[in-house]
Amino acid sequence: MIALSVAAALAVFILYTSIAGAGTPQVLPSKLHQYAGKPVTLVGTVVSSRGDAHSNSGMQFVLRDPQDAHGRVMVVYHGTVPDPYKVGRVVVVNGKLSDGRFLAQSGSLSTKCPSKYTPAKPGSNT
Amino acid sequence: MAALGRAALLLSFALVVYAVVAGGYAAWRKRRRLALSAQNALLAAFGTTLVAAIVLWSALARRDFSFVYVSEHISRALPTGYALSAFWGGQEGSLLLWLLILTGYSALAVFLNRRARDLVPWVVPVLGGVAVFFSFMLCFVSSPFATQAAPADGAGMQPSLQNPYMLAHPPMLYLGYVGLTIPFAFAMGALLSGRTDERWIVLTRRWTLAAWTFLGVGQLLGAHWAYVEIGWGGYYAWDPVENAAFMPWLAATAFLHSVMIQEKRGMLKVWNMVLVALAFCLSIFGTFLTRSGVINSIHSFSQSPLGGWFLGFIVIATVFSVGLIYLRLPLLKARTKLESLVSREATFLYNNLLLVAFCLTILWGVVYPLLTQALRGETRSVSKPYYNFFLHSFGLPLLLLMGIGPLVAWRRASLRSLGRMFVLPFVAAVVTGGVLLALGYGSSTPGLLAYTFSAFVAVSIVLEFVKGSRAAGSIFRLVSRNRRRYGGYLVHAAVLLFAIGVAGSSAYQTVRERGLQPGQSLQVAGYTLTYERLDSTQASNHTAIRSTIDVSRGGSHVTTLHPGKNTYPVEQTTSNEVSIYHDPRNIGDLFLIADQIDKNGTLYLKALVKPLVNLIWVAGFLFVFGALVAMWPDAVEQRRLAERYAPGAAVA
Repeated sequence: MIALSVAAALAVFILYTSIAGAGTPQVLPSKLHQYAGKPVTLVGTVVSSRGDAHSNSGMQFVLRDPQDAHGRVMVVYHGTVPDPYKVGRVVVVNGKLSDGRFLAQSGSLSTKCPSKYTPAKPGSNT
Repeated sequence: MAALGRAALLLSFALVVYAVVAGGYAAWRKRRRLALSAQNALLAAFGTTLVAAIVLWSALARRDFSFVYVSEHISRALPTGYALSAFWGGQEGSLLLWLLILTGYSALAVFLNRRARDLVPWVVPVLGGVAVFFSFMLCFVSSPFATQAAPADGAGMQPSLQNPYMLAHPPMLYLGYVGLTIPFAFAMGALLSGRTDERWIVLTRRWTLAAWTFLGVGQLLGAHWAYVEIGWGGYYAWDPVENAAFMPWLAATAFLHSVMIQEKRGMLKVWNMVLVALAFCLSIFGTFLTRSGVINSIHSFSQSPLGGWFLGFIVIATVFSVGLIYLRLPLLKARTKLESLVSREATFLYNNLLLVAFCLTILWGVVYPLLTQALRGETRSVSKPYYNFFLHSFGLPLLLLMGIGPLVAWRRASLRSLGRMFVLPFVAAVVTGGVLLALGYGSSTPGLLAYTFSAFVAVSIVLEFVKGSRAAGSIFRLVSRNRRRYGGYLVHAAVLLFAIGVAGSSAYQTVRERGLQPGQSLQVAGYTLTYERLDSTQASNHTAIRSTIDVSRGGSHVTTLHPGKNTYPVEQTTSNEVSIYHDPRNIGDLFLIADQIDKNGTLYLKALVKPLVNLIWVAGFLFVFGALVAMWPDAVEQRRLAERYAPGAAVA
């Protein structure tokens, strides 16, 4: 009886995720063109940044793939900028590609936890 | 010093390997002296791990930058308290904290239960097995004692971690995560020894409660840290790493309820084994999430080889526990059967199903990106709406069950008795719902339902205390005679306050933001916020910029707030410093964030009014108090249990 009940409860969420939810694709800048016009979560490293996130034109920054230098895309963003945000950091932002620019959803910018940026340890003795 | 730390860890590794090998052999061949020797090895491993921990703490206190770990996590300017907290601020240190707590817990659990001679010899190799994994990682994969030519200064600590909450939040979580190893080890020990009665549950009840309490408090501290430090106005974001702590807590909550059915009715033996294994594996899974970097999280540590090791360990632990449960199925048959779907044990079952279903839906959400990547070739993720849907679907019925369960009789409840018991809570719920609708709070259906159900639960808890106090003569006598039951009710009351706080602060919050010049004002939920000026001050390791905001209501001055930013030159970063007014009128907060400060003095101010949010933090105190009442040793109960499991059965 327990197993059946758990299975029934699980069926609800499987139904939800497969039919209603379906999630949001997480994409790298190099793959973004495949999702033009569709809402996605963009993950990339900040290459350059200018402008004011609270101005009408917003903050504009360029993202590239975190692992290599491919797939640069310009992001236009309005809203709160997280404290750890700066050039060189990996950020996550929601929005969609439109006319070659990624129009970010207001307030959706987040950066990885600070401990993510612990440097590598060349030449250390374990 | 680093050599001493490395040597101590190697000794720990050797000792726990001995505890596994000698302990396993001794339990199998019933060699008592060898079993004692294995237990002593576990005790000694705590000593050697403590030496390693002291070496690292000493290096942090002395700012010995020849330790790579020290130079990467602190600087000379960092206050000593935070420097010491860097012990758990990085990967290697937090692994050492895991091992320290694990060996400490293991030593204490084995020592306190040393007279349970048929069970503990099997528990020792299981505890040792877990410790072998962590000591292996520290000795051969991720050592905190790597050295280098000492640089002049260290990299420093991220400003957001320089908060008093970070002194307590991670250790609390670790005390909870690691504490779940003890009931797991006793459960597996019971299966290995073939003694599958309720004794392992009795021996570990307080351990489970303590671990569950630490995990709950750790999460609350983390939530409060996020609230006051991160500066986005929230306290929980359904991030995978936050979920990683929530999942084992949910599994442990289900376990704490279902063991009562096994103790009382001899049912759910297999289910309890599955739950304790699930809680343990989820606690390891949480650590895997933070180490591996396989899932996008704002909390993840750097990608490291640790992920694969943790995944391997989870597979081993899962195969071991599932295999053992399967092999021992004939010994896990229930003594009795469920007599009615309207009974105390049935409501406990419903509670368990909802908790586990909620836990698994969260797990599904966490691993969804991995599954979609594997099955569809593209990474997709679920977000807040997904989790909120299931929070409402499972959380609200759970809230209601908290009020129904204690009122229903064991075995079978009649409709007449149910009607008698439920009339007052039902009336309270209907009246509350009606009043809230009349006052215009129907804008949020989940919020309205949460308050209606909360009224039902609150009255049912009060009724239990009133009826019990009348019978016992006083409330103190009532609680002291049945600490476990009434401690549980206090925890229920804490969950109730928590639910009211969450519903109020999320469903009914108000947010406003705009750019202000000095002298300009912003209106929000009856408050007028007037921006007066900016000031700058120099602290030991940062520059602080603070705005002055006059807060008034109805033309009367209420308070002055100072949201701003800190700039840390060593760490080359800034941090938001929020300013909060606790409003006693609605037990809520006026929460101000200096979102952006321009050079020309323009302040982009974000203001949130969060009614009832302080009930969440008050709930934390009541939660701890209730858990302590439930855990407090009871001489009468101990005597009863000692007689029940005699001979040679001491109860911790």
